[in-house]
Amino acid sequence: MTRAQDGFAGRGPLHRHLRLVATQLRIRTLAALEYRTGFWSDGLLGVLWSLSGVIPLLVALEHRPDIAGWTPWALAMLTGCHMIVAGLFSAIVQPALHAAMEDIRTGALDYLLLRPVDALVSCMVADFRPWSLVEVVVGAGLLAVAAIGAGVSPTVLDVALLATVLVSGVVALYALSVLILSVAFRALQLQNLAYLLESLLDFARWPIAVFRGPLKAFFTFVVPFAIMTSYPPMALLGRLEPRAAGGAMVTAIVLAWLARAAWLRALRGYTSASS
Amino acid sequence: MSAAPRRVLALVAAIARLGMAEAAAYRVSLLIWIVTSIFPLISLVLWRALAEDGPIGDYDQAGFDSYFVAAFLVRQLIASWVVWDLDRSIRNGDLSVLLLRPVSPVLHHVMINLSVLPLRLSFAAPIGLFVLLLTGGFTVLHDPVQWLLVIPALALAWLLNFAVQLIVGCLAFWLTKAASLFEIWLGLFIVLSGYSVPTSLFPAGLAEVARVLPFHAVLGFPVELLVGRLELSQALTGLALQAAWLLVLGALAAMLWRRGLRAYGAFGA
Repeated sequence: MTRAQDGFAGRGPLHRHLRLVATQLRIRTLAALEYRTGFWSDGLLGVLWSLSGVIPLLVALEHRPDIAGWTPWALAMLTGCHMIVAGLFSAIVQPALHAAMEDIRTGALDYLLLRPVDALVSCMVADFRPWSLVEVVVGAGLLAVAAIGAGVSPTVLDVALLATVLVSGVVALYALSVLILSVAFRALQLQNLAYLLESLLDFARWPIAVFRGPLKAFFTFVVPFAIMTSYPPMALLGRLEPRAAGGAMVTAIVLAWLARAAWLRALRGYTSASS
Repeated sequence: MSAAPRRVLALVAAIARLGMAEAAAYRVSLLIWIVTSIFPLISLVLWRALAEDGPIGDYDQAGFDSYFVAAFLVRQLIASWVVWDLDRSIRNGDLSVLLLRPVSPVLHHVMINLSVLPLRLSFAAPIGLFVLLLTGGFTVLHDPVQWLLVIPALALAWLLNFAVQLIVGCLAFWLTKAASLFEIWLGLFIVLSGYSVPTSLFPAGLAEVARVLPFHAVLGFPVELLVGRLELSQALTGLALQAAWLLVLGALAAMLWRRGLRAYGAFGA
């Protein structure tokens, strides 16, 4: 079969991938609109869940004027960032991760592999829960309100740093999920590593400054919650050095590269469910 | 006359052996589940850092060390997962198989969940011990009378957790996504039970409310008892509160189970 006959005539691989992503997102969004109770169970519950997780922070503030140099407004900005990251995780990353693992387990991944697109792209758009984006919107609102409350007047450089670290954070989160997915190929018993990532995400509510020693390094470079939630407010407050933002970018790129390598390696070892 | 109880005993022992064999077969899974619940140990590091320039409330650094290691271990001791099993088995009809067996499915789940405890503890205890060696300080209950209360407190906490899971699991007889409702309980539990921060540090008002709720009875109370933070009278009150909640939630679970089974039969499943 020639290129012209496969239904994707002349548009190139990028167009094909974008079309797949757009189609998947559209189908899932339509499905979500069918089940409008999802607004309550995924959307509002996610917001409530996020806000209830703030209680330990409030308890700490009850006994201390600030937490490791973070004022209440700065912590509110951090909470906003956490809601953005957690919302993106439960809307896009986590559903795809679980769906792809289910496909590995049942062998349905075979059909995915036959598609004329990159298998990883297929896996990462395997499922989507748009209602969880409510949390992202609320988080962005909280971030904006808290930034105004903190009286920040960010420079262009600060905003550029903010964009850099936020994108790096999301890339790192994606990379970690792909790593977990790759491990799940090896041993399905390791599937619940996905829950480990979820439960660790709770610690991204705290500024990285409260962690010491190896745990601080772990949350900065291995599971870089610092990049996802602590660095963005620091960028807005003008407290983030460009060097740290560069480090964040490098960390994200290294994680993404590792994830891609692990994925390719895992895919080579895939033998379907029945064989 | 003694044949019937002996038969039940033999059946229960068989289920326990089955549970232990399953746990041993899926030991890697179990280990990751335990690692997933090291949450209190990271909280330990966090609150320890916050308490660096002096105690927070009535907790100093050593106080937090003891509290969170105890919270980690108690969480392991009271663990069960019947809500997910029940939810799935009602939805896909596997419950019918369990109903055909000569032991009540509830008892079956009790035994399966209990039988994992030895392996679970043998994974978790070294982790707790390791953290204690790292941090150094550990205060534990001194009063021998209160030690006698630890066992019933833990048993009641286990039963309470099981009863709540049974209640939510039974909702699967009528709802399609009952297990996701359990996340609501879990979310409140993590914040209000003393799992992520001792409830006695809560702002006045919230603390009093949190301490009578079932969340605290499941985890915070046994933990505080274990690290010796309670007077004898407080310990007895806590036990009474646990028993009262168990009475309420146990009755609710029993009712839902009985009604649910009728609804399940009505499906023709």
